[in-house]
Amino acid sequence: MRSAELTLGLRNLYIIPSRFGALWLGSAALLLLVAIQTTSNSTLLLAFVMLALLLLAMFLTHDTLQGLCLRCGEPSPTFAAESATYPLLIESRHRRPPLRLRFRKASDSAHVQLSAGVTLVGLSWRPEHRGWQQPPQLQIETIAPLGLFICWTRWNPQTPQLIWPRRRRGPVLEQHPPRWRDGLDEWNDLRPVREGERPAVVDWAGVAKGRPLQAKVFTVPDDVERMLKPAAGVPIEQAREHLADRIWTLQQRGERYGLRLQSKTLSPGRGLQHRNACLEALATE
Amino acid sequence: MNRHGRQRLFKPETLAWFAMPPLLLQCLTLNWSAALTWPTYALLICALLKLWRCSKPFDRRLAALLQLLSAGLLASQLQGLLATILQLIAVSAAFAGLLGHELGGMLSVRALLRRSLQLLLAALPLALVLFLFVPRIAPLWTTELGPVRGAVTGLSSDLDPLSIERLATVNASAARVSVPDGEALPTTAYWRVLVHEQFDGRSWQHRDPPFSRQPYRGLLNESEISQWWVIEPSSTRAVPWDGRSKPAAKDQWVTSEGELMVGAASRQKRSFRLRKGTDAMRWQLRPPFDSERKHPPASLPRLKQLGARFRSLPTDQERLQAIERWFKNQPFRYSLNPGPITDLDNFLFENQVGFCGHYASAFAALMRSADVPARVVSGYLGGRQINPLTGSPYLELRQSDAHAWVEVWLEGTGWQQVDPTLWADRNAFDNGNQGQQRTKLTWSDRANWSPGRLGQWLQGQWWGLDMAWTRWWLGLNQSSQQNWLQALLGTQQKWLGLFVVLACTASLSLGLLMVQLRLGSHQPLEQSLRLLADFGVTPLPGDTFSDLCRRAAAAHPDRNQLLGAMAHHHQVLTHASLNSHQRREHLREWWRIQRELGSPS
Repeated sequence: MRSAELTLGLRNLYIIPSRFGALWLGSAALLLLVAIQTTSNSTLLLAFVMLALLLLAMFLTHDTLQGLCLRCGEPSPTFAAESATYPLLIESRHRRPPLRLRFRKASDSAHVQLSAGVTLVGLSWRPEHRGWQQPPQLQIETIAPLGLFICWTRWNPQTPQLIWPRRRRGPVLEQHPPRWRDGLDEWNDLRPVREGERPAVVDWAGVAKGRPLQAKVFTVPDDVERMLKPAAGVPIEQAREHLADRIWTLQQRGERYGLRLQSKTLSPGRGLQHRNACLEALATE
Repeated sequence: MNRHGRQRLFKPETLAWFAMPPLLLQCLTLNWSAALTWPTYALLICALLKLWRCSKPFDRRLAALLQLLSAGLLASQLQGLLATILQLIAVSAAFAGLLGHELGGMLSVRALLRRSLQLLLAALPLALVLFLFVPRIAPLWTTELGPVRGAVTGLSSDLDPLSIERLATVNASAARVSVPDGEALPTTAYWRVLVHEQFDGRSWQHRDPPFSRQPYRGLLNESEISQWWVIEPSSTRAVPWDGRSKPAAKDQWVTSEGELMVGAASRQKRSFRLRKGTDAMRWQLRPPFDSERKHPPASLPRLKQLGARFRSLPTDQERLQAIERWFKNQPFRYSLNPGPITDLDNFLFENQVGFCGHYASAFAALMRSADVPARVVSGYLGGRQINPLTGSPYLELRQSDAHAWVEVWLEGTGWQQVDPTLWADRNAFDNGNQGQQRTKLTWSDRANWSPGRLGQWLQGQWWGLDMAWTRWWLGLNQSSQQNWLQALLGTQQKWLGLFVVLACTASLSLGLLMVQLRLGSHQPLEQSLRLLADFGVTPLPGDTFSDLCRRAAAAHPDRNQLLGAMAHHHQVLTHASLNSHQRREHLREWWRIQRELGSPS
């Protein structure tokens, strides 16, 4: 059952002997046999101490998790097919031995040692699909303090995480403003002509004046705007992935851009908020 | 080195290594021919390799478990006081190592040791309930565990004094025996060990009896115990005893020759108890075997001729008395250094100088020649009384107390002990190395003090402690368990199962309570946080302790001053450079404030 908060207790904690616990029990039984055969009090007492520790460890391992309060944090959006971090707030009234948290089917796990108070733990998982995604089932487990028992619980955090479309390089349809065109005099530098350069960018005027063959370097003005659209002929999901990558790149370059989708249009802008709005539109529309 | 430096040097994981030296030390004292020795070695080597090359967390756990198993096997073989102390250290270190690994550096070494000790103490009530009240069972099977090889000092199964020109006088300890309080130690007793009944003209051989499982002898009251023995490693399964006491455990039995055997014999230190014997033992009345009547070989013509002279006497008793008279009339002289003696004829009629082995061999051979069944017995004579400062007085038998005497079969009375060495010229003793000749050590006499004597005295004191420990620890056995269960439950023994379950539950609860109480103390910060939680203030991400105190003070203005002081002391303890005295003062003040805050306003 999904919930935003979970307090660990008798109703949701499970405990079984670990592999080491089974070996421990076997060793105690072996010592018991040796003690009977050799009528050795010391060996007998050691065997019983090991049995007593086994029983005690069952309660202590359970106590390691009992009373913990888990709450969902505010997850940050992230791209699909990349490692996402899901925040969890864990409240404990006292210091606890180490415990392990992991999403089921996830390879990574977090080993945490809780102090008294609230601890923020980021758990990684790898979403495959875009949109508002529920994280997988969470497993919290511990074998502390002796490794003889494994105590665990499973929980489905309720708060979904926004997953943007996967980033993938590819064609994107861009509509530039009319004044930004090759061949205008809005260039600010010259560079050597590369092989296959378009004739439109060559500084023919300079050539006419006897200067070597050079290409113009244009400056994109601050207020240059472009509207991004899914490329024609590309499947829509793939086009979204291309757009996500393009938006991320443009944001990093500080350029202004807008997004036009079939059902939604976002006018050009820049900044994190605009980027997130565009990516959210890509993820959810 | 400062505190942090020490903590870096001794990581919690290194604690597991501290279990190895005590275990290895004990392994050195094991005999390689004992049955459990090799499994112990194997376990210890595995533990060593696991610790050395541990790549996974499971390896560290396994190493700790192997160390515990090794300690358990060693405990079954070495039960002395020193061995028990070493086993305790090894178990504590192995357990602390395991805990240190599982807690992943959460605690410092000192805190870890304290925690592991607390956990062991918490487990102890339940372990003790099981140890004391779960009915003990007898060994499920008995095997020939005794070794057949290996070099240890002590009595040999072959008695051949003729091949020895000089008796080795090893002063190592052979055994220690104590008796119930109030009873006198038998300082002149003959402690029999081996019976040599086969004579080939030169040496007397001991025949190892076949192993036999003995019938159950019933339970034993503590008051029935007459002797507590601790035996040093020896090459024989037979152990010293007085010939009259009775076995007190299932793994002890008396052979038809009168040897006391201990089933769990090995070339390690052994401990056992004997109970009082009042009537004659079966071995004393068992008619002689043919091997015990067999005449000496023809290679001893003069001895046989002398023996034949006594055959004309009508009774065994008269033949014995006649031979005794003959011995006493000869100028026999006792010497530990008799020189070469070719055979018993040479000893009896020419050399006439020798030690107990010569006298016993010659006398037994002479008795057989006179048609009186006889055999040689080797063991110990007398002993030295030690009065330790702690524990009861005990008798110490050294290897130099080894002695040989004779048993002759007299019709109507059975096997009788005769010591022909006593008939030698007592004034001619060339040294006082025989047990009964040795004077008692008088430690009060200051003239006796010397470094060597001091060492002996200290060893005697230690053995006194060891003896007291062995008496007490071995006393907790199946029969004493029956006694206290009888005292506790009387005739209601059928409720024992329920009683054990209830006692286990109670002791487990007690153990958990002990652990919980531990969690509630010793950490000022944690206790303060619990206290603040009671005030309704819990830490949020980014909160400092001072922030918490301020929030608590805002909610409880009447405690404003105390909460402020607590925050101040925390700041000082955390950040200020303090010497140990200042640290103690601040901690004391911290505790005082906490007590005040904890008390109702």
